[in-house]
Amino acid sequence: MQTLEIISVNLWQILISLANLLLIFLILKKFLFKPVQKVMNQRQAEVDKQYADAEQAAADARQDKAAWAEKLAGADDEAAARLKAADATAREHGDRLVADARGRADDIIRQAKNEAALEKAKAEAAMKEEIVQVSTALAEKMLEREIAAADHQQLIDSFLDEIGDAHD
Amino acid sequence: MNTKSRRFLAVDILLLVGAILPLVACMVLKVLFTPASEGITITGALVYFTIPTPVQPLPITEAQVNSWAVMLTILCLCLYLTHGIAVRPGTKRQLAAEWVVEKCKNMVHNNMGDYFAGFAPFIAAIMTLSGLSSLLSLLGLFPPTSDMNVVAGWAILVFSLITYYKFKAGPIKYLKSFAEPVPFLAPMNIISEAATPVSMAFRHYGNILSGSIISVLIAAALGGLSNLVLGWLPGILGEFPFLRIGIPAVLSLYFDIFSGCLQAFIFATLTMMYVSGGFPQEDYEKRKARREARKREKLLAKTAQAEKA
Repeated sequence: MQTLEIISVNLWQILISLANLLLIFLILKKFLFKPVQKVMNQRQAEVDKQYADAEQAAADARQDKAAWAEKLAGADDEAAARLKAADATAREHGDRLVADARGRADDIIRQAKNEAALEKAKAEAAMKEEIVQVSTALAEKMLEREIAAADHQQLIDSFLDEIGDAHD
Repeated sequence: MNTKSRRFLAVDILLLVGAILPLVACMVLKVLFTPASEGITITGALVYFTIPTPVQPLPITEAQVNSWAVMLTILCLCLYLTHGIAVRPGTKRQLAAEWVVEKCKNMVHNNMGDYFAGFAPFIAAIMTLSGLSSLLSLLGLFPPTSDMNVVAGWAILVFSLITYYKFKAGPIKYLKSFAEPVPFLAPMNIISEAATPVSMAFRHYGNILSGSIISVLIAAALGGLSNLVLGWLPGILGEFPFLRIGIPAVLSLYFDIFSGCLQAFIFATLTMMYVSGGFPQEDYEKRKARREARKREKLLAKTAQAEKA
């Protein structure tokens, strides 16, 4: 079997070797660097996006928190104001109710008094009438004679007035 | 990992076989073609057959075949590493691929600067091709890097790259650079320019070849020593070279693994240094600015003419 000399120069071999290196360069570029670079770039983009999202979310949360804290502080004041307003309206309402009730009670009392006075006057008149009749009958019996009612009417009236006055 | 489809696994196995098979084929080829020899011989690559070509016949040697085998292996390894690559890394091989890519890019960036970022695959190509070629000696194959023609091809490619980037500042600047610092040193400058690829090629090739030669010499010497010291043992025991066991392996650790990787690294580093060092960044930028200014003037003149018309 033939072998080359240890030091031998061959133009074609040199060219082949040069082409080999170029070919390996292209192979590495296309099959190793390109896909890996692509994937790494994609990953970088994804990571960047995630970071941006997270920052956005944190900013949103912070804003929400501030808004809610403000609202909460406002809510206390609002509640107090509402309570006060309710209290005032309730008191007003109550006052009005009490005043109404008092007015109505006064009316009722006045009416009752009037009625009572009227009843009393009526009763007095009825009593007077009865007493007149009774005394007339009594006097007829006692005198056993006819008394002209007209003649004695005056006398009886004065008598009755006396009784009524005494009775009052 | 369990969700891998059968097809995926099949492709994986195919790629791994594709990475290993060329090397095995080379070994078989070598075994078939190596003549039975006695004693030690130090020769160049085996010539499998010769193709008649103009200028010089082209012998297809071990060096050629082995470097093609290495290229196939690299191709299959690349495909294997990036097979099933995903945005969310799920496999160790993807991490390995990303590590390799990142390291290469960092190295190129640190040594050459931003302008040469595109050189990362080229430097990786030099390192893998040179490193794996040298490591072939571990398999008992002829390392293509110990054939001068192979390394000379690479060195010439690197030299043309160096010259191309030196030319970027304009041919006049390039020619002027030879007359610096004083014009009469021009011959020296030309020699040193031409010496760059020669020294790169010889350094790499010489280191690997000398490693092989020293390994062979030491193995032979150990055989002789073994005969001398243990020759009195009866029968086959006396003929067996006991001293050859183990000791050459330690030397191989240096000559095959360390030296092979180191030369690949040195070749890549020198490439980066020469290419980026020879590139006149400032002159290039000045020239670029000048060109753009001229282009803009032309464009302005054209528009003015068009308006007139």
